Amino acid sequence: MSVKGVPLAVESSSTADRQPSVGRAPTPWELRQIEAVPKSKSRVAADRVICALPLVMAAAVTAQYKITPNFGGAATTDIYTGFILIMALLVLIQFIRSLFSKRSFEKLLEKAPLYTAGFLLFALYDFATLKTGILPLPYFPWPDRILNGIYEDRALLLDCIKNSLILLFSGYFAGTAIGLFTGLSAGLSRRVRYWVLPLIQILGPIPSTTWLPIILIVAASLFGGSVFLIALGVWYPVTMTSMQGVLNIPKANFEAARILGAGKARLFFKVALPAAAPNIFQGLTQGMSVACTALMVAEMMGVESGLGWYINWQRGWAEFAKMYGAVIVICVTFSIVNFLLSLIKRRVLRWQEGQWN
Amino acid sequence: MSAGAGHISIQNVTKIFARTDLDSTLVALESVNMEIRPAEFISIVGTSGCGKSTLLRIIAGLEAATFGQVRCDGEIIAGTNPKRGLVFQEHSLFPWLSVRDNIAFGLRAAGRYKSGADLVDGLISRVGLSEFSGSYPHQLSGGMRQRVSLVRALVVSPDVLLLDEPLGALDSFTRMNIQDEILKLWNEHKNTMILITHDVDEAIYLSQRIYIMSPRPGRIVKEIPLGMSYPRNRGSSEFTAVRSEILRRLDFAKEEQEEYNL
Repeated sequence: MSVKGVPLAVESSSTADRQPSVGRAPTPWELRQIEAVPKSKSRVAADRVICALPLVMAAAVTAQYKITPNFGGAATTDIYTGFILIMALLVLIQFIRSLFSKRSFEKLLEKAPLYTAGFLLFALYDFATLKTGILPLPYFPWPDRILNGIYEDRALLLDCIKNSLILLFSGYFAGTAIGLFTGLSAGLSRRVRYWVLPLIQILGPIPSTTWLPIILIVAASLFGGSVFLIALGVWYPVTMTSMQGVLNIPKANFEAARILGAGKARLFFKVALPAAAPNIFQGLTQGMSVACTALMVAEMMGVESGLGWYINWQRGWAEFAKMYGAVIVICVTFSIVNFLLSLIKRRVLRWQEGQWN
Repeated sequence: MSAGAGHISIQNVTKIFARTDLDSTLVALESVNMEIRPAEFISIVGTSGCGKSTLLRIIAGLEAATFGQVRCDGEIIAGTNPKRGLVFQEHSLFPWLSVRDNIAFGLRAAGRYKSGADLVDGLISRVGLSEFSGSYPHQLSGGMRQRVSLVRALVVSPDVLLLDEPLGALDSFTRMNIQDEILKLWNEHKNTMILITHDVDEAIYLSQRIYIMSPRPGRIVKEIPLGMSYPRNRGSSEFTAVRSEILRRLDFAKEEQEEYNL
């Protein structure tokens, strides 16, 4: 049964000479290396070129921006140059690492075409706007203008991000907590389900933003009303998925827990909650996208701060570059939030790793 | 676990199930009577669907008898109790807990985890799983999983250990290994053992008494005491004789049921 200390039984002649000398089981990555068909010299060289392509493209973007004349003699700054160079620097770091580590090399080889396409897209957009005016102002500002807009308003934008996140998470956590409670209870108890199911069936299909006009009138504070709106939107998917999660738990898990002496609280927190966690995280992800939508609507319609408000406010001034800038900031902010959520999910659901392989 | 505890008395137990699909009822157990002494090892054999699992679930307190009652040390059983442990056939380990945390679950529920941590590690190494104490159930083989189930039930020192075809899904080689481990654990812990199985050899190899059940309705058709000393030799003439008697009885029970169906 022991895995450690058993020498690898790799018999084939082509791989025998590549056996690791250490008497331990290989890591999954090492295993892939052992079993991989060796690459020819020319193939490796071609792969190196692919890895360098993003850098070549970044140089092309910079050259086009700096050297070719602008449409209508528009003035530009070096913020865009700096932005492209920072992006290129991040790729360069990966490229240098790939020269020394085979693992980084494989990783970069996988991503390089995507990076190249990214730089190409910048070049094309810059060409269509700044260089030729095919896409005209004011609706299509070039990247340098957008970046300048973000840079100018950086203090205000940071404040907006802060306010948006406070509102988002106040609603998200409230909705999640209540959703988990109703969902898990409904999954565990037939009687609770009797009362919760009709509520879900009636409230569920109504998009939570529908309530906004009513909330604008009824709510004592706009902030409180918006928190309620977001929480309502999150509550529905979290309730549904956590209830379904509990209903999917094998009966034997509950029976085993009861026989081992688990009381009601232990069945709730130590069996139903962790066992339903895979489902619950689906609801949390769904809930996050609903929450972000509700947040934007609430900020555009009433709340006088945050990124949604900022976009609307800049529209009033016809500042298209700043509107685009805010869209980019929203994209980055929500991506980071979703990334953090997926990190938490991976940590909590570690027990599932490799379950279906 | 207190010495001399674990007396199970099954008195006239009848269990009738409602069949929701057919708007009718089904008699799963009919007037079952058994006396099981503390620290005794008994087996119940019968074809699948004869109600033996239902009987075990009633003893565990997971189901209530329709008529009759089961007493444990004189008290009528009404609900589960850590004094009566149960090892399921499969899929009852908590997939989100490591081997160690699965085994510690009962101690945590009883609030005895702090004082019992050594016990957990002791039992893990007792069944040779020290290397896997941090692994999750899906990373283990079927045999390892059943060893964990066994130890998880034992960690709270139950007076009675109910085994519901615990080795049914395993290959015969692993099964024989774990059978020996079960005997050793029984010797060390002196629990009352009630084993449900359809493997006749397993019942003869392990138990001091065997009950044979007939299906639909589930009834005890024969009680066979076994005087052989442990460890038993599966090839001995005594073993073979008991086996053919049980098989004859099971066949007879089957024929009787076929007539009944006509």
